[in-house]
Amino acid sequence: MATSSQTAVQQDDLAEFMVAARALVGAEWVDTSASKVDRFGENLMPEGNVPVSGVIYPNSTEQVQGLVALANRFKVPLYPVSTGQNIGLGSRAPVLPGQVVVELGRRMNRILEINEEMAYAVVEPGVSYQDLYDELESRGHPLMLDTTSGPPQGGPLGNTLDKGAGYTPYFDHFYMSCGMEVVLGNGDVLRTGDGALEGSKSWNISKYGLGPYLDGLFLQSNYGIVTRMGIWLMPKPPVTQSFFFSFPDDDDIGEIMELARFTKLRGVIPTLLKVTNDIYAFGTETRFPLDRADIRKTIPDAVRKEMQTEHGIGSWVVSGAVYAPTQEAADAQIDVIRALFTKSGKATYIPQEIADENPMFRIHSDSFIGKPTRDEFPLYEWRPGGGATWILPVTPIHGETAKDHQRLSRNILERFGFDYICEHVVGARMSRALHVLVWNREDPEENARADACYKAFIDEYAAAGYPVSRPPTAYQPYAMNRLGHSFLQTCNNIKDALDPNGILSPGRYGIGLHR
Amino acid sequence: MKTYFTEQQIASPILQEAASEIEKCRHYGFCTATCPTYVLLGDELDSPRGRVDLIGKMLEAGGVPDPSTVKHLDRCLSCMACTTTCPTSIDYGKLIDIGREYIEENYRRPLAERALRTLIAKVLPNPALFRLSMLAASVARPFSGVLGSKLAGMIAMTKALKPQKSDFAHLERVDSSGAAGYRVALLEGCVQKVIGVQINDATIRILSRHGCEIYKPRSVGCCGSLPLHMGRGDEARALARRAVDAWHSAIVDEGVQAIIINASGCGTTIKDYGHLLKGDPDYASKAQIVADHALDISEWLVRIGIEPVAPLGLRVAYHDPCSLQHAQRVTSQPRQLLTRVGCDVVNVPERHMCCGSAGTYNMLQPEIAGRLGKRKAENISRTKPEVIATGNIGCMNQIQQYSDVPIVHFVELLDWATGGKKPVALCATALNRG
Repeated sequence: MATSSQTAVQQDDLAEFMVAARALVGAEWVDTSASKVDRFGENLMPEGNVPVSGVIYPNSTEQVQGLVALANRFKVPLYPVSTGQNIGLGSRAPVLPGQVVVELGRRMNRILEINEEMAYAVVEPGVSYQDLYDELESRGHPLMLDTTSGPPQGGPLGNTLDKGAGYTPYFDHFYMSCGMEVVLGNGDVLRTGDGALEGSKSWNISKYGLGPYLDGLFLQSNYGIVTRMGIWLMPKPPVTQSFFFSFPDDDDIGEIMELARFTKLRGVIPTLLKVTNDIYAFGTETRFPLDRADIRKTIPDAVRKEMQTEHGIGSWVVSGAVYAPTQEAADAQIDVIRALFTKSGKATYIPQEIADENPMFRIHSDSFIGKPTRDEFPLYEWRPGGGATWILPVTPIHGETAKDHQRLSRNILERFGFDYICEHVVGARMSRALHVLVWNREDPEENARADACYKAFIDEYAAAGYPVSRPPTAYQPYAMNRLGHSFLQTCNNIKDALDPNGILSPGRYGIGLHR
Repeated sequence: MKTYFTEQQIASPILQEAASEIEKCRHYGFCTATCPTYVLLGDELDSPRGRVDLIGKMLEAGGVPDPSTVKHLDRCLSCMACTTTCPTSIDYGKLIDIGREYIEENYRRPLAERALRTLIAKVLPNPALFRLSMLAASVARPFSGVLGSKLAGMIAMTKALKPQKSDFAHLERVDSSGAAGYRVALLEGCVQKVIGVQINDATIRILSRHGCEIYKPRSVGCCGSLPLHMGRGDEARALARRAVDAWHSAIVDEGVQAIIINASGCGTTIKDYGHLLKGDPDYASKAQIVADHALDISEWLVRIGIEPVAPLGLRVAYHDPCSLQHAQRVTSQPRQLLTRVGCDVVNVPERHMCCGSAGTYNMLQPEIAGRLGKRKAENISRTKPEVIATGNIGCMNQIQQYSDVPIVHFVELLDWATGGKKPVALCATALNRG
């Protein structure tokens, strides 16, 4: 694990850097006051807060370039953040203490272009999902956004760069991005893809153009600051119809995954499937039953079953949606899906009309129409105390393996006294299993348990042959070390080439700690 | 967030309430994205979680509040946008009210500010004084350059406002012209009674047409909302008691089924009467009964249903007043009703953001309010509406200052579509029914 000394900054250098930064971006856009700066170091993770040296709010790619040049000159590490809070994944706190946060959300929040004909938008880092949704709504929704189920203030650029995903056919945010402008760690400005051609007219519509495909380098890395990005948008379908199935038993995940693979590989269902477990579903509207269970332990199965009954669901809720030109066509597609999912007799079908009356289900319907929602927030309060993180192991869409993974997760969580709260976001071949870990971070003993629990997930899933993707900043070096020396060494070699002084987010995803 | 109140402090029910709300804060920061002052100023101390901390520290320390704390709490709009994003459900409204009342009782503001706040607190809730002050404003307008900026701003604000006369002013009871047999009470408000009588008249007409007998007890004046948001809790409670007396007897003796409010800022306060008067044993239960009967006009009309005589066919930008969308969580009903009468209802980008009116805010914080007003008007113009509709007189006056698009209370459109008068704001336009 890295220590603060690895990124130690000479205080004189820092002071000179701040003076120069004020001259560059304007004094009012550089902040070192504790009341503001400390907030950027707040972190819900067990390790606690990370001290920050200052916050700078640039307004343009040129200013970002200028800041990177200054950072190289004074050897001051920068930590760029876009918009949103990144709750559960490390907040806005740097990986290591002492870094200067470059806050791109406040001023670089322009929607630079929406091309309705070619169905794409070009955005700066500070554009939030809500901003883009509002803009599309004011235009009468010619195009539809793919959004996460996270807070509406998160944004497409930051989410894409952290390998985030949504739920509609445009769920793969990186695949649906096209053309980046990046300020590299060495201060150069790179325009990826066709954008490298002076006067390019195809920057945001042609992904692969000429030469090596470089965009992927800027995902989950620290090689550059992306200052603009093209994202493809889906024409809004005339009719979207959601469907829901409730399955009674924990082990029904096996049948669900087999059905999911069959339907997704054959294109029967255009959206991803959300396979949501009981607590993940009703945890949005209720809290851990302190009167029926011991908060220091995993909720007993009997109590969980009682709560399933109270909320009218089983162990798993499956949701998805179809898009169609008419309601009749949508209904016909739903009939096919319904016949497949209810064939074994285990699933109960819940039509959208019924589901929409219940916020627990409406979260999912909103996802499939690209509407940002904050209805998942209450999950953070399932257990008191404010500690929250996400654990996202990869699970193949294979019934028996999914059952094994459920057993593995439940076993780990039970050992550490937490609850299995999981939503599989299911594609044709793999799912990202969103586990929510909530705990009391004001209790040192619980903090220690949460820390050990997260590491156990990384270790035990790695031992089973699966990585935990998208770890919070605190666990990125730990998780990356599981990928082996060669992979990390290659990442570090690229770091040395593009950011020779290691001034961009050293330690992010474990990269740049080799010096 | 931990609090550090002493045992003696925590014996106070008010501090106990404050502590329990403060302790819910986890510093997630979701509230910052929707807080208008944080979005504009970017200062954590001008965000809800920053203010929660400030209130906590101020109450824990006791004594005279720090001027910086007062500045940041004064800048809060009480729009409650934060409460719709807070996963821990902090009752920020109660907390900021506690903070304001503490400041009012323990902090001596500069003389000019004290005078201005007293003027506002005395004049606005009193229709007779308000009428007089509007006359005075028209006389003072040419000299506003030599007045303080806030006073000059207030005088400028009154330029477009004209005291109006109601068709129903003299009546305490208006009969139903329909057969349904409903009985309701209507809050006429204080400010609205002077500069927005067309809203009350439209409300009375549509209610009467749809079978409601309407009570307007004369003893009900200001609901208490205006003084409450200035930290003048005792004045607010005195006004609330007067309203509770009148409405409770209307409910118990006259069989009134609902108290209808068409000024949403007032609605928020009245719906919270149970809490406001919970420390008063003579009023606590009566106040809760009144609160339980309080409904925004849109909630009531959805309940009883309305019958349009001709579809309006207008493109309407609906602006959600903060008091409706965040405090009362009433968002679908106005849209549902406007759609029912044939309007093409469009949502305004950044619909969660306050327009800057916020009760007396645009008088006390004109600079921030002006920026918010312009931002709201720009967002509205992006939707290219023929008409702006909203549910609060304060929002109407604020937005009107920055937009050329005619603005009405949605009930005026509903009244027009169901056989009533064309809204005054639309009379000079070519817009017509059907």
